[in-house]
Amino acid sequence: MRTSRTLGLVMIAPAAVMIVLFFLVPVVLTAIFAMTNMSTATGISGGAWQVTQGAINRLKADMPDLAGGIAEPRFVIDEEGLAALEALKLKAGFSTELRTSHMGEVFPSRREAERMIKALKDRPSTREVKQLSDLFNRSVLNTRFETRDGLMASLKKLGFKLTPAEQETVATATYTGWVWTTENFRIIGNSPDMAQIFLNTAFYVSVTLLVFNVSYALFLAITTHYMPASTASVFRAIWLLPRITPVVIYVLMWKWLTWDSGFISMFMGQFGYPAKNYLLDSAYNAWFFVILINGFIGASMGMLVFSSAIKAIPQTQFHASEVDGASRWQQVRHVILPQLRWPILFVTCYQTLSLLASFNEILLSTRGGPGRATEVWSLAAYHTALNNYTGNLEYGLGAAMALVLVVVGIVLSLIYLRIFRYDTLISKPLIED
Amino acid sequence: MTVLPTLKSATLAAVLLASTAVFASAKDVTISVWSGGSGPNDNYRTDAFDIAADILEREAAIRGQQLNIIVQKTPYSGWEDFKQALTLAAEAKKAPNIVATGHEDIGPWAQAGLIVPVEKFIDLDSWPISDIYPNLMEITSFNGSVYGIPQDAESRPFFFWKPYMKAIGYSEADIEALPAKVEKGEYTLKNVLEDAKKMQDKGLVQAGYGFYPRTNNGPDYWQFYTSFGGVMEEEGKLVFDKAAMKRTYQYFADLVKAGVTKKNHIGMPGDQWWKEVATGKAGIWHGGTWHYARLVNQEGLKDFFTNVQFTLVPAGEGGKANTLTHPLAYLLMAGHTEEETQIAADLIKIASEPRINALHAIKSAHLGISPSETKVDLYAADRWASEATERLLPHANAMPNNADFGKYWTIMWKNFEASWTGAKTADAAVNDAEAELKSTLGAAIIIR
Repeated sequence: MRTSRTLGLVMIAPAAVMIVLFFLVPVVLTAIFAMTNMSTATGISGGAWQVTQGAINRLKADMPDLAGGIAEPRFVIDEEGLAALEALKLKAGFSTELRTSHMGEVFPSRREAERMIKALKDRPSTREVKQLSDLFNRSVLNTRFETRDGLMASLKKLGFKLTPAEQETVATATYTGWVWTTENFRIIGNSPDMAQIFLNTAFYVSVTLLVFNVSYALFLAITTHYMPASTASVFRAIWLLPRITPVVIYVLMWKWLTWDSGFISMFMGQFGYPAKNYLLDSAYNAWFFVILINGFIGASMGMLVFSSAIKAIPQTQFHASEVDGASRWQQVRHVILPQLRWPILFVTCYQTLSLLASFNEILLSTRGGPGRATEVWSLAAYHTALNNYTGNLEYGLGAAMALVLVVVGIVLSLIYLRIFRYDTLISKPLIED
Repeated sequence: MTVLPTLKSATLAAVLLASTAVFASAKDVTISVWSGGSGPNDNYRTDAFDIAADILEREAAIRGQQLNIIVQKTPYSGWEDFKQALTLAAEAKKAPNIVATGHEDIGPWAQAGLIVPVEKFIDLDSWPISDIYPNLMEITSFNGSVYGIPQDAESRPFFFWKPYMKAIGYSEADIEALPAKVEKGEYTLKNVLEDAKKMQDKGLVQAGYGFYPRTNNGPDYWQFYTSFGGVMEEEGKLVFDKAAMKRTYQYFADLVKAGVTKKNHIGMPGDQWWKEVATGKAGIWHGGTWHYARLVNQEGLKDFFTNVQFTLVPAGEGGKANTLTHPLAYLLMAGHTEEETQIAADLIKIASEPRINALHAIKSAHLGISPSETKVDLYAADRWASEATERLLPHANAMPNNADFGKYWTIMWKNFEASWTGAKTADAAVNDAEAELKSTLGAAIIIR
């Protein structure tokens, strides 16, 4: 017994590793990202400290003296800079000429200091000009410090003695990287657009699920069940086509159908209707086609599951019911449907999760339009975190949205298990007790 | 007699030695260049580096070094995929050496440390950089440093289909005078709506084709905000002018209400749009100077100047006629050795020389980056380049290089689209945008 248990653990180990790597880790990372304000502007790997005009604006309220004192760039040719220059062991002529001709000069901008440096008799290269000007930089404005201590040391050098609390204020105002925050959830909670996207998602998932993935799939399964075997196979094969066609081609075919110059426009043109883009004409049209596109894919899967489940019902039950004079409808109600509870639970649960998370068909057909009418939660999370015109990818907010989706998925699964009384479905048959 | 063989051997030895010395200093360097939004006419955004590499190799040879530069070129036709690929590659430390992208990326990318200031590697006072228009250099600066070298300039005009303008009562002279009238504010966005309606009412164009705007998000829409008196940034702080934005949103809602612009215009296939404006299916539209290249090269509109008039974006209530220049800039990506980055910077410098840059400007119908480029024969002899430079460029604004501008833009755009399609009223869209801007950007944006 113990050996078989150990063997079982060993055998399941690769699957367990896969689950951890490909399911658990992404979810955990999403949860971690969701608690940050990470974006393109903050970078992912960490930030620097930079006294920019924006940082000075932020500091003005709390520390006006410091903000005023560091607001101007200053480049000073002084002994300290010259000593540093000599230590660099560049051409000796640089320091000699700077000492004799420029000692004590103050330049209000880097550009002006560098113009003077470039005019030295031993003309320095561009890299050397930069090295030299850095040595005489006596301000922190627009200088990028890789460490917090570097910024604080420079401020100290400039004569600013800051308490630890003041240092904290300066560090916060000048930090360019991401920070831990729960702000994303506040934004999600307060934004009217998020509420609209949430409603869009609920509408899309429930209508596609109820109308196509379950009802239409059941209809197909039951009707093909009553057909001769060969005819049924042809129908099933046709309904499988949307599922097995590559999604890009499948959606492109819908676009050909609905574009201004597409089939519907051409057909309606015969009756004098002007050509229009039926797919994006209005929010109603867009929803109609988005649901059809997804529904036809989803219906094929339900059809397969339900068909095989109906096949598994002992034929004797159908024969017996027919002997009792049951109509087809009565057979469906009293023989087929009660025995499909488990497949219906499976399809409902699986398709809910799949519809919640999938957005590729919508992205390819309407891109969430027109006017973000068909923007669903997962598509919005993708747009926010990974794809938008301005290139300002908000990884943190997108991750928070994805996390909300994970939670909604888990909660819905639990509700389904409860409604369909999963425990009774998997309990041992009474006969074996 | 014995001297000759000795001399021969000595010469041979010397040549061999010299060749090994050269061989020892030979260097293969791979420089990767990516460019965004680059269609078939924009090939010189990356191809310019083949020419630049050849020149730099020759310069190195004169200095006694053998430099082999392998240029790896990756042009992207769109923007969204390009920006996603580039930012993720940069985060994964796989960034290219050089990238040609919109100047608005400089803010967030510089803040994130993805790019390094180009002025660290290029002497800005040296030719050809010293010759570039100072306002373009300003546009590629952030936090007091020059981060990029402008790769091109452009502006975004309004286009009018001349035959239809004539059909609604404009004489040839009126059409000729239109650019000046627009500039003075005598022909406004209100007139655009009226004329578009007239074209439709006369049956010249189909419903929804009177005014036929860009089909997707883009910098163009900020021009309307400026036309209605809006300001994007003031003293380093972003500005959201509620009244101007409301007028902007309302204008597009009015266009839809009047039936001259389609409600579902955004998201329509781009190819269809190009074909339609090139064949006179639309009455008035807007686009960029580079549209000229596509209309003439790909869409078959050979008699452009006979059929099309172009002007600044007309003024709306509270604003003035304007256009926007959205220069692409060559940026140096972080994460490479100083030596590689220096070579990349040298290449950018050479690629910015007037003659090389003019290849791009004229082929793609963008505008030049320096006064001497306008004197290059290829450029000076091109009617479009000369007229567009003169008529539009002096009035061009640019979007701000602000690390938060992308967030502002995203919020502005989604509410714009919502009011355009009727999903929200202009009032609701402005209020939603305000609420979201406050919650997202807080004190970083002035709302008034």
